[in-house]
Amino acid sequence: MRTLEMLTPGILARIEAIQSDCDRAGRLSSLGFIPGQWVKVIRLAPLGDPLTVEFDGQEISLRRSEARLITLEPAGGAG
Amino acid sequence: MNPFSARRSSVAGTKPCLVALVGNPNTGKSTIFNRLTGLRQRIANYPGVTVDRKSGRMRLEAGDFEIVDLPGTYSLTAVSHDERVVMDVLGGRRNMQRPDLLVFVLDATNLKRNLFLVSQAAELGLPTLIALNQCDAARRNGLRIDAARLSRRLGVPVIETVGSNGLGMDELKAAIVEALEAPCFLPRIAWPECITAGCVMLRDGICTLGCKDISDAEVLRVLFDRESVYTEPVLEKLRLRDLIHEAHDGIRSSGLSPGSVEAVLHYRHIETLLEGVVESSGPIARTRESVDRLLLHRVWGTLIFFGVMYAVFQSLYTWAAPMMDLVSAGTDWVQTWVAGFLTGTPVLQSLVCDGILAGVGGVLVFLPQILLLFFFISVLEDTGYVARAAFLMDKLFGWCGLNGKSFVPLLSGYACAIPGVMAARTIEDPKARLTTILMTPFMSCSARLPIYILLIGTFVEPLHGPYVAGWVLFFMHFVGVGVALPLAWVLNRFFLRVKPLPFILEMPDYRLPILRNVVHRMWERGREFVLRAGTVILAFSVIIWALLYFPHEESVATGARAEFVQIQSAERPEAAVLAALQNPESPTSLRLANYVDAAYIEQSFLGRFGKTVQPVFDPAGFDWKITVGVLSSFPAREVIIATMGIIYNLGSDVDEGSTDLRTVLQKEKWTSGSRIGQPVYTMPVVFAIMVFFALCMQCGATVAVVAKELNWWWATASFFGMTALAWVAAVAIYQTARMIPILMS
Repeated sequence: MRTLEMLTPGILARIEAIQSDCDRAGRLSSLGFIPGQWVKVIRLAPLGDPLTVEFDGQEISLRRSEARLITLEPAGGAG
Repeated sequence: MNPFSARRSSVAGTKPCLVALVGNPNTGKSTIFNRLTGLRQRIANYPGVTVDRKSGRMRLEAGDFEIVDLPGTYSLTAVSHDERVVMDVLGGRRNMQRPDLLVFVLDATNLKRNLFLVSQAAELGLPTLIALNQCDAARRNGLRIDAARLSRRLGVPVIETVGSNGLGMDELKAAIVEALEAPCFLPRIAWPECITAGCVMLRDGICTLGCKDISDAEVLRVLFDRESVYTEPVLEKLRLRDLIHEAHDGIRSSGLSPGSVEAVLHYRHIETLLEGVVESSGPIARTRESVDRLLLHRVWGTLIFFGVMYAVFQSLYTWAAPMMDLVSAGTDWVQTWVAGFLTGTPVLQSLVCDGILAGVGGVLVFLPQILLLFFFISVLEDTGYVARAAFLMDKLFGWCGLNGKSFVPLLSGYACAIPGVMAARTIEDPKARLTTILMTPFMSCSARLPIYILLIGTFVEPLHGPYVAGWVLFFMHFVGVGVALPLAWVLNRFFLRVKPLPFILEMPDYRLPILRNVVHRMWERGREFVLRAGTVILAFSVIIWALLYFPHEESVATGARAEFVQIQSAERPEAAVLAALQNPESPTSLRLANYVDAAYIEQSFLGRFGKTVQPVFDPAGFDWKITVGVLSSFPAREVIIATMGIIYNLGSDVDEGSTDLRTVLQKEKWTSGSRIGQPVYTMPVVFAIMVFFALCMQCGATVAVVAKELNWWWATASFFGMTALAWVAAVAIYQTARMIPILMS
């Protein structure tokens, strides 16, 4: 399963689901990390964590531990 | 008419209408708040939690309005207590007045995400008005927003504003007055059957479980937030959890995910609202991208970060010094001036000068550093750099429960823990903030420097040379942080039961800081420190003064004088000594005065206490004089030098470079016990003292500030915890080093 953590910087991908029932899912989704949203990792921090994601004209940084909760649709479907 | 509206009619002469400012972080909410209220502001805590409640008066021709600035939030999720405040205010809970009007401050450059909170808050059924802020930035980003169309879709007025230059403020004020007279409400989204059914079931369940007054908006929070604070009165947690599970199963069986369904539905609603409202003229090469490429660069970004932090640190450490000296000199001057009026009553003179005035000076002396630090923090936050710095540093601190935003408080702690602890407010996550506050006092603040310099200069340097001495001083600065970070890890792993929030950072656009806001913030923090923590620091100061002054029996001075004359007579005729004492300015008289002061401190309550508890510090190699010095430095560690001066008959007017003090320390020998005749200050003792000072919370002002920022429980816990840790470390060092004979020279 592909997650946001593994996404190569600069590549667009679509969110499939948020893999968590806990309140972290609510927090991520309220910022716009919802199924169907196109996202792109634009930058990694110098020490490799956190990473910055761009979507809808905003940039949000999150840790790998949270990026791991976001699964992506399989590559190839990207238009 | 919205069925959930509970608008209080505000009749003239009763309480003024309450207007709440709501919005995401970084939308310029505080700037608009400052514009609306000017300086007529108050800061207090919300009941039960240490979250700032900022409120102020807006004076218009139409009357007075009470404006409250709610903490910036991305959603109404009420998991942590800090977030709960927003829902509490909006729901009129905890005896708080329910707002008569909500003013949403939205960032026009990111309308979609900003509307999420609006869409959620529609459930509350409160009269609403929207301020579309940062319209200038949106235009620069190539966005064109049809505010009139948005207003028609939302059914509430939408006012375009630019907080930074005050554009649209008059329109906003007029709209507030109008909206209170003719309230408009947001449309609520249509929930699917599975959610409405879940809510009805939960509501009935919660009512039977004994929580009768829960509102519909709050039931939604219980449904979506897994562990919502609204279920606190419910005692049968398991039963409630079953109910929530049941409702979630209903949602799942409709093919939706309980974790994200709320956001999905709100965003779908927002998409339809925004159709044709926002027009983007294509991607514009924004300056932020090139700036980010530099500031977040692996090498340059890191170098710039350390450069910026160095500047902040230097300003606290070096630039604040002249201002702090000025405060100290001012305190001295006032003390001398006041002392002149009170010569007839020595107790009162000492209380006023050494207790009260010294305490006031002890409060004011922190102001330069607090003001400077908050100047930098405001500028760095307003420009958007704080988010970048946190991004760069997060990995370094994440492992032990802190986060990237802990860097500034911890670094400030190297100058002084007080502004550092206050700076932890920039950390949103309550758990990371708590840990950062508890760890900041471990950083080697500038008040620890004198004792290091005194002991290293007196014992290490003569023996091992300046090169080793320099390394020891350098090493001493890392003892605290070296203990603090693993301790933070242990605390987080095993003790802190507060839930951590995910570290999610919005990277805001770069903006020019607004001087008005910066000055306002400095003034706010300074005033708060003086009023809230200052009173406690003053009380500490007076208590310690009393312990060091009383009982102050006349017989102590007479006895000390007789003893002094006897000692002096061994060197020269008694008559010569007595003659010298006739002249109060003679060196002999000054030495007598120091001798009497030493006798008084030995006979004071604190001195007697020090002698009594010396056995406790004996395993660390401390004699009673060191013990009294350590005890008297609990209110402020830097007084150790002056106290040692008094104890060793040199008077309080010594500093860490004083050769007299250094000579006395080198010659000091045990006068009783098993080590009688041996030198007191051996290398193990010297290091035991330094490590004790490195780890101990010997600062009443920090205790007071921690109490104000967290609560007294944490302040007490951290005081005793740090003291115990310091004692254990000092004993361990002394006992280990004693086994290595070469160190016992």
